[in-house]
Amino acid sequence: MTLLECKNLTKLYGKHTALSDICLQIDGGHIIGLLGPNGSGKTTLIKLITGLLSPTSGTVYVKEEPIGPASKSMISYLPDHTYLNKNIRVQDIIDFFADFYEDFDSLRAYDMMAKLQINPRQKLKTLSKGTQEKVQLILVMSRHASLYILDEPLAGVDPAARDYILDTILSNYDENASILISTHLISDIGNILDEVIFLQDGTLHTHALVDELREQDHKSIDTIFREVFKC
Amino acid sequence: MLKKLLKYEWKDTSRLLLPINLAIIVLTILGCSMLSTSIFDSEASIFFAVPLLILYILSILTFSSVTIIYIYVRFYKNLYTAEGYLMHTLPVTPMQLFHSKLIVGCSWFGLNSLLTTLSFMALGFAAGFHQASTNINVDTININLDPSASFADIFGYPLPTFLLWMLALLILSAFSSILMEYVSILLGQQMERNKLAASVAFYFGIYVVIQIITSVAMMVPEFITLSNTTDEEFTTNFLSETLRMAFPMMSIIYLAVGIAFYIICRVLMNRKVNLD
Repeated sequence: MTLLECKNLTKLYGKHTALSDICLQIDGGHIIGLLGPNGSGKTTLIKLITGLLSPTSGTVYVKEEPIGPASKSMISYLPDHTYLNKNIRVQDIIDFFADFYEDFDSLRAYDMMAKLQINPRQKLKTLSKGTQEKVQLILVMSRHASLYILDEPLAGVDPAARDYILDTILSNYDENASILISTHLISDIGNILDEVIFLQDGTLHTHALVDELREQDHKSIDTIFREVFKC
Repeated sequence: MLKKLLKYEWKDTSRLLLPINLAIIVLTILGCSMLSTSIFDSEASIFFAVPLLILYILSILTFSSVTIIYIYVRFYKNLYTAEGYLMHTLPVTPMQLFHSKLIVGCSWFGLNSLLTTLSFMALGFAAGFHQASTNINVDTININLDPSASFADIFGYPLPTFLLWMLALLILSAFSSILMEYVSILLGQQMERNKLAASVAFYFGIYVVIQIITSVAMMVPEFITLSNTTDEEFTTNFLSETLRMAFPMMSIIYLAVGIAFYIICRVLMNRKVNLD
């Protein structure tokens, strides 16, 4: 069964076209890089899939379910900014996730918190910005979701933290699940990707297997990206 | 899922609104205790009695204002700012999100209004009881009422019915007031830009329109009473006759406005969200 299907997806903001006629399918068990320069429509596409935006035209299906409570229960989403109430304790946020998501694994969350020496009794606002982002990542990766959507998970963190984040992502997703990662930092994730989606000016430029692209061009994904989107 | 949303909505809103309502209770107990003593009996006490009374009224008004503003901000912040990214990706329907906010918002607003009303009544009762028990001469306050008149003669209803009407009005007022807040935010969200400013503008616009409608509607029972009342009956009958018509009329207005706002909210909530 196709995990994610976008059919003729278009999103207009007034006269500006953010996404135009996007058609793509994603199956389970893949790590997909959603790549493109600023303003190419990556975040818009993610918001349409997660139901935070409504398309001007076209449809999105997750395991044949239209966007709604059923699709949202299958998607674990990490936005590109903090979306948690900073006045509450980490353990209260864990309880919140455990209450709303049947696939949330509290033990896994507490285990990852302990490894990072995060005290669950601490309020989120008392943690550094980097630690808050790690808490958010831990919450998202503690679910046994079908589709993980990570919007710029590596932005604004130091290289050591990037390693931790990538390790957390790779060691915590189910083999039948897929991960859609949007990022600019292609050199950091190039080696873990199975597929890439290149977006350019709101249109789908490329959707291909990484191995096929490498064999075809004999170049790394980072190099291909730089060539495609050369200013 | 609604139960879970309600649980967290109660928990989050309690952090601020529970202490506020407890403060009203504490302030009322303190006020009643002071009024039950003789400290305000002397003429010199006016120099600290008046500032204390002003402080009490300002505190109560502040608590009410904070409650209204907090419920408004909470709805906006929780659904249409960064926190909205979490709330709108939960596996719940938009109406479940809305109903959790509506039920909890109405409950806090209603509780705050009830406590405020009870606080004023308790202080009035404490002052009156102290005057009666100490035989203070109250001739200076010239209330032109027949001493033999019953509660129903003055207020138009027997005491239990009057209290039931007050309670019904309080609930309906909370329902329509909270929905007015929510409908203004939802209308603001329909704008392409300056959504928060638009929400505030919608709120004040709707507030003015509702006030005009309510004021005009309230004039009707007063005119009817005035036209049917002779000069002799005016002092004794005016209040009771007015209230007898005003209570049902106010209830109908609050209910109608509340239902209209609810329908608008339902339509707007079920439109797909567009978070910036």
